Amino acid sequence: MLRYVVRRLLHLVPVLLGISFLVFLLVHLVPGDPVRVMLADAGSPEQVERMRHQLGLDRPLHVQYVSFVVRAAQGDFGRSIHTRRPVAHEIGFRIPYTVRMAVAATLVAVAMGVVLGAIAAIHHQSPLDYGTMVVALAGVSLPNFWLGLVLILIFSLYLRWLPPAGADSWLHLILPAITLGTSSSAIIARLTRSSMLEVLRQDYVRTARAKGVGPRRLVYRHALKNAMIPVVSIVGMQFASLLGGAVIVETVFGWPGIGRLAVDAIFTRDIPVIQAVVLVAAVIFVFTNLLVDLLYGLLDPRIRYA
Amino acid sequence: MRRWGTFPVLLVVLALLSGLAGTGGAAPARGGTLTMVIGSDPPSLDPHRTPSVNIAHAVMYETLVTVDRRTGEFIPALAESWEISPDGTAITFKLRRGVKFHDGTPFNAAAVKATFDRLVSKETNAPGASWVGTLTRTDVVDDFTVRLVFSKPYAPIFSSLRISFLAILSPAAIAKMGADYGQNPVGTGPFRFKQWVPNDRIVYERNPDYAWGPAHYKNRGAPYVDQLIIRIIPDEATRVIAFERGDIDILPGAPARDARRMMRDGKFPFIQIPTTSGTYLGLNVKRAPVNDVRVRRAIGHAINTDEVARIALEGLAVPMMSPIAPTIWGYWDGVRQFALNHDVERSRALLAEAGYRPGPGGAMTKDGKPLEFTVWTYARMTNVRIAVVLQAQLRAAGIKLNIEQMEPATLLASTQRGEHDAILISYGWPDADILFYFFHSSRLPTTNRVHYVNPQVDKLLEDGQTTVDTAKRLEVYKQLQRVLLAEVPWVPLASELSVNFNQAYVQDIYYDKYGNLLLLDAVRTR
Repeated sequence: MLRYVVRRLLHLVPVLLGISFLVFLLVHLVPGDPVRVMLADAGSPEQVERMRHQLGLDRPLHVQYVSFVVRAAQGDFGRSIHTRRPVAHEIGFRIPYTVRMAVAATLVAVAMGVVLGAIAAIHHQSPLDYGTMVVALAGVSLPNFWLGLVLILIFSLYLRWLPPAGADSWLHLILPAITLGTSSSAIIARLTRSSMLEVLRQDYVRTARAKGVGPRRLVYRHALKNAMIPVVSIVGMQFASLLGGAVIVETVFGWPGIGRLAVDAIFTRDIPVIQAVVLVAAVIFVFTNLLVDLLYGLLDPRIRYA
Repeated sequence: MRRWGTFPVLLVVLALLSGLAGTGGAAPARGGTLTMVIGSDPPSLDPHRTPSVNIAHAVMYETLVTVDRRTGEFIPALAESWEISPDGTAITFKLRRGVKFHDGTPFNAAAVKATFDRLVSKETNAPGASWVGTLTRTDVVDDFTVRLVFSKPYAPIFSSLRISFLAILSPAAIAKMGADYGQNPVGTGPFRFKQWVPNDRIVYERNPDYAWGPAHYKNRGAPYVDQLIIRIIPDEATRVIAFERGDIDILPGAPARDARRMMRDGKFPFIQIPTTSGTYLGLNVKRAPVNDVRVRRAIGHAINTDEVARIALEGLAVPMMSPIAPTIWGYWDGVRQFALNHDVERSRALLAEAGYRPGPGGAMTKDGKPLEFTVWTYARMTNVRIAVVLQAQLRAAGIKLNIEQMEPATLLASTQRGEHDAILISYGWPDADILFYFFHSSRLPTTNRVHYVNPQVDKLLEDGQTTVDTAKRLEVYKQLQRVLLAEVPWVPLASELSVNFNQAYVQDIYYDKYGNLLLLDAVRTR
């Protein structure tokens, strides 16, 4: 098991190198440059050249890339071109907010998704099944910005229960978590349903039923746990992508997360920040996937790591 | 004919600006927090590290001079008085005494020199460095006298001096904080910096020592409110809801559609003010078909700016007749006789002169090809709406307009390469000197986005910078406006109005004529 984990972590090195190289190329291929954005209209051509030189942007591309990799390997991501804050600080500050939102949204998604999916499966081909699946379809289809604004209108403006924007307290977390969680929950519900249906058709379920296991115990103890394996992997993927930031929801709810940092950095062509955010997101993705793979073993003791 | 439907309204609003509020004779209420909202974080709270002026700077920093909110004249702020040398190359400022920075260090001539030296230094490379023009050095005459020396006269300097780019910063704080000064800023203003949660809020607290407010305030001491919070909410709709719900006390620059609705509802007090911005259609004079001045004039006559202001901008804009918006110093009202009036007949006649004939479906064609061009613009809602209105108007004159939306950094990079027929963007600055950046040949190809070269215009733009005598300087810009309207590198469109809402319990807040929020007199009555 330990060897497996170490091997998986070693995979990170080529993955990160590859990603950083791709991102570096992409940022330089896209038109637009951070210095012009920073100096705006008033900047003179000499000023532009000077700033380029100060930032090392006048060096050949391969030199810039190598210097980036060498410094990043030592944990030094430099300073943001746009804000001049250390990049590590820009990201470090936002990570707790992003994690909070990702965890809350995932909880909402899992709670709603698994329950709806299980209900639909147990009451297969009944009005309850069709009803939950229609809800799930609506959940996937509703755009986040729309759902977010509607929730704000209802719960912030008319009912006045919850604040529309900000990140001060757990109250601020509820609406964005529901908004984000709804679309994931719909995916999870559909997956749980189909996975449950499959499990319920298995021989051991029939055997359990024949033995006289009650319906409640049958579902919770025997079926649901075994139906969870594909669900856990999709939850892991969803969680990892939420940790990479949820731009639209962060924008609508004024949440200071990684997603907005990334988009602002792209708009201002803030190369050091773009690089670092992408690398952090990649690391998070790899780690979450590893965690999910390890979780399989807990759910299904037959799975071995070699 | 182009009418000035909104202009009288504007004048009334301007006249009302100073008279707003007024709580009567009783002592103003003390204490409480004022919360206002903006759409995005400033990159830094160091004015030398920001590409645009920002309210987050204006509340905590002060400049040498400011502009009177009632008259629009320059009045003393950190400088008590000033004197301009006869040849216009030196300005000597007598500084106010007894002023302290938020870190307790004294404000004096050395601080002014340190600030301006830092602003123009090659090492700082400040985006705002251009706004001091030909400034060559700053001399300390004595502890409270400082002299700005220019290589040649730079007439727009006063317009710049009042902008937070040129605010005076604490040299002690800069020395102490180094690269982190932008997150730990120290000024002399009525509010001092307390905390910044990026992408969420900036918090300021009352500066209890403050006793040097400019004369246009009633308050001669420190602010009445204890705390000022600037919330950052990027989404327009959420911003408005947060205000309507009462989470936000002051909502400057409400989006046009919500502004219209809230003005109708009458639930919240508002102040409507002109802005120093101008939106224009820039035509790349190097590219066919708009390289032909007759075609550019025809486009100008096909456009109805009244409709642009009324339909695309919800009536919260003033049509522009000149490249210089009517609120900007240098605008000349006589320009109306040279304006490109909406006149489709004239437009068609000009196109006929340029060799175009009406073809199938009314499209003007030459050598079998219909007249069409493409405009590039940002994917900003108002810009897109303006572009769509222009498209309809031009179609009525037989000209086809294609619209292409782009992300800002891409747009700016692509216009430098001259790959565009036309652009639709805005500028904002209180002085006509801004046109230097857009039309002077030395600004090719960066901000001279229409690739316009005209030695006569170059000369006028240079004269506009070096002519210190105000009346003579105005003549220069009159001349410039006439030339630009004849050559039509730009079709001026509209200058937006800003509608600023506040909760009824917030009183005595003002905006000066450039839209700056003034908070020293502000009180919260509950």
